Amino acid sequence: MWTIFRREMAHYFTSPVSYLIAAAFFVLMGLYFNNDLTVSITTRAADPASVPSFLSFVMVFFAPLLTMRLIAEENREGTVELLLTAPVSDTAIVIGKFLSAWAFYSLLLMGTLVYPAVLVSLQIFPDLGIAVSAYIGIWLYGGAALAVGVVFSAVTDSQVTAAFLSMSFLLLMWLGDVAGNIVASFELADLLRKLSLQGHYSTSFAVGLFRAEDVAYFAGMIVVSLFVTIRLLEMRRWR
Amino acid sequence: MIEVTDLSKHYGTHLALDAVSFSAKQGEILGLLGPNGAGKTTTMRILTGFMPPSAGKAVVAGHDVSEESYEVRQKVGYLPERVPLYPDMTVEGYVTFWAKLRGVKKTKQAVLTALEKVDLIPRRKSLVRNLSKGLKQRLGLAQALVHDPQVLILDEPTIGIDPQQIIEIREQIRNLAQAHTVLFSTHILSEAEQICDRVVILQRGKLVAYGTPEALRKQLYPNDYLYVEIDAPQRDKQKVENMLTALTGVDEVTRLAGGFTVRAKKDNDIRGKLVEKVLSSGYGLRELRPVAMTLEDIFLEIVGK
Repeated sequence: MWTIFRREMAHYFTSPVSYLIAAAFFVLMGLYFNNDLTVSITTRAADPASVPSFLSFVMVFFAPLLTMRLIAEENREGTVELLLTAPVSDTAIVIGKFLSAWAFYSLLLMGTLVYPAVLVSLQIFPDLGIAVSAYIGIWLYGGAALAVGVVFSAVTDSQVTAAFLSMSFLLLMWLGDVAGNIVASFELADLLRKLSLQGHYSTSFAVGLFRAEDVAYFAGMIVVSLFVTIRLLEMRRWR
Repeated sequence: MIEVTDLSKHYGTHLALDAVSFSAKQGEILGLLGPNGAGKTTTMRILTGFMPPSAGKAVVAGHDVSEESYEVRQKVGYLPERVPLYPDMTVEGYVTFWAKLRGVKKTKQAVLTALEKVDLIPRRKSLVRNLSKGLKQRLGLAQALVHDPQVLILDEPTIGIDPQQIIEIREQIRNLAQAHTVLFSTHILSEAEQICDRVVILQRGKLVAYGTPEALRKQLYPNDYLYVEIDAPQRDKQKVENMLTALTGVDEVTRLAGGFTVRAKKDNDIRGKLVEKVLSSGYGLRELRPVAMTLEDIFLEIVGK
């Protein structure tokens, strides 16, 4: 598993695409933070969870970009056949690849820690408890979004298709929260919010609430997605 | 080393492999021949543990591929038809990756040995994407060798590379057979004839011939073929043909541009009688030689049936 993990990590650090993704990520985060900082000087206090909360939307698009290559390229290049005939389990292949994406995302996330540091250095002291909770939340949220991306990467041998499918799926999961706001039935709205990605982040981690059910939701999503990916990979043997 | 018994594979309702049985001994090179869609790749994929058979049994290096797939995968080196490469890696990095994945202990040494076997040491720092097709093929061979497997399974290893590189790859396969059992597929028949100790011919999933190229030749062409060129005036050609046909023991005579091919009846040596007859008729004998049936002829004979 760690051999796969190291190979994928090495790829993230040698591929120009990864640097482009990272650059776009930091430009977006920087602009958003700058905007929030400006508002905080004139209108309201700085939001300690502003960048992670913005990231909860951005990850709908960034997670597929980070994962689209993972298995789709193995399918396209034919290396998957060799991988499946190496003495390594399908589980190890999938987990190794997923962990590499999550680790790369974690590094990007660590880069955004500079923003709370800027707030502190400007002697704007946000509620650090909320910031910590928001970061833990968005880290788990990112893991779940990446796991969904890994599933769609195993479905096809085209990276573009993999990215498009996972973006569509994540957007639906994200919009579940919005749908929850507009349906009349209280029970249905509650169910939609419980199923949506946002429902387990914006009302809990982002406001400093650390709930076991939200952790279980993201962890569950990771486990289910990886399980599905392993089954998809196994299916290749039966075709 | 490889023991295949009544191996079958269904893809839905399509029967890709139909009760095929063959074996390969230690150090032997076994060729898998057949037209496209004959079941060569399916057979190889089953033997490498990539997919399970629908029925039958395959034992590779002492392990059943269905029940001990993990052990089989440790003892098999596999080069699929499309060489699977990671273009962003270096030659050495690529082979090291596969060595580690297959649990090789002294990785560095094993990688250098494998690269040395395929003459890629000078290019070990190059990026895979910058290699020529022939070098990529050799790199594919290096990854299949790096864990020193007992069995090497190579799917069309000489496809799509230039003649000089083909010769080099063939030479390398021949050398490898000293330490490994090699199963390789090809549709270039002369190649199988040059390299293989035995061949398996598959057609539409069925095994249609199996044995040494010599044995197959004997089995399918028990009669001797001779090529004869006779020094006779052009106008006498028909007369000469009739004379050859009338000779005892001759089964068939075919007139060619320069001479004739004469097929003898089974277990008949007609050479002495033929020479005697030609000379006594007042003609000269320019050439008389046996015509060996190539694997190509055998293959066409079987597949054409």
